[in-house]
Amino acid sequence: MRQTISSVSDVKTMIEAGRKLLLAGEEDVLHQLPKGDWIAGTIPYFISKDHGGMVSRDLLCATDITDLVTSIEIVAYDQNSLARVYTEGPKHGFSFIVIPAMSKTHLSFALNAPNYKDFGIRPLIGWIAGVHLSDLGKKTPKVINGITGDVLEEGALVLQAQLPEGKVAEIGIVNLFEQGAGDVLTFTTDDFSATDVMVNGEKRNFAAYIIKNKLDTKLPLVADYYGALVNISFQDVDEVEGLVKFYAPVFSGIRYKHAKPVVDYVKEFNDRLCKECSIESARVAFSCNCILNYLYSELEGKKTDPFTGPITFGEIAYQLLNQTLVYLEIMDV
Amino acid sequence: MDVPSKSNKAWQDIVTGKKTFQLKFLAAKILLGRLTRTVKEDPSPNTISNSVDQIYALFSSNVNMPSVQEDMKTIFG
Repeated sequence: MRQTISSVSDVKTMIEAGRKLLLAGEEDVLHQLPKGDWIAGTIPYFISKDHGGMVSRDLLCATDITDLVTSIEIVAYDQNSLARVYTEGPKHGFSFIVIPAMSKTHLSFALNAPNYKDFGIRPLIGWIAGVHLSDLGKKTPKVINGITGDVLEEGALVLQAQLPEGKVAEIGIVNLFEQGAGDVLTFTTDDFSATDVMVNGEKRNFAAYIIKNKLDTKLPLVADYYGALVNISFQDVDEVEGLVKFYAPVFSGIRYKHAKPVVDYVKEFNDRLCKECSIESARVAFSCNCILNYLYSELEGKKTDPFTGPITFGEIAYQLLNQTLVYLEIMDV
Repeated sequence: MDVPSKSNKAWQDIVTGKKTFQLKFLAAKILLGRLTRTVKEDPSPNTISNSVDQIYALFSSNVNMPSVQEDMKTIFG
């Protein structure tokens, strides 16, 4: 893993030395950096190798991909052109995407990416930029193109990285949540909110159902995509309006279940990694985890080795995910 | 291992859900989560053919990935 938590001065030095960097940090800090081969999103939460989960308004999370790639290009997309993100990905490499939270592009990507042309045909990993939680409503998340200096609060930036011969990029996820034993929940529309839910095929008001059944909304809905467990996190339950809001869209026809509780995130995380036994830290080029895991599992000061990196407002492994760690491995073939 | 042609019956068996496999390739799992549902709702030859095209293209474009190589052994032996 080549991810470090670094001072502005150290990152400036890396940029001036021509390093190719994926950066995360507070907007004011990112504005102090010179132009160069870097892409960034705003967020002040990180998992560091030395201190575990942390928040800093002064430091930056830097992922150095210089020695892994042969070339990079940064492309800006809007909510419509982003439909080409898979098709235009490098034929031998990967695409790294950062999107500002709550932008039109974020919402459009979340809803439509699974139906974009050539879905998954090239590896796509990335994250949703955010802000310090005390700045919600005061500041907007942004993404920055270090080559041009462009700062976007609407749109998406994609760093297209070419890999040398003999290397391939693989994307993985670590999701500790599993489907519980409760009701099967389905929805009739693709949306970030729902009034109604089909509970084992019977139409109910979802907010009333959650309250009556005392569902813990810190636990996500979980869908099983051919063995890949995909979470939808709860944002708000409005009993008066009868409306439930999510951090990612539910999709019609998908069978969701409320997740089983995760009692001790770090212990279960380590158990999972031991069980799978297939992740070599030297191969991990990038990883990020979710702000909801950071908050609900109280990850401040806790480590999730071998994974470090930004704590985000959404994770992207081909499509938008919630409450999930995503990682990029560069492997020899 | 090369990717077997689209006419190989195993592709059709996967998208129709006639056979299921424990796969490693994340993009294939996500895509199949959608394709198997689509085919279940509309099992017409055209939908099956379109679905086979998509999953075949995904494997063909990522054939060098270790997870894809593993999955092809799982599916095609």
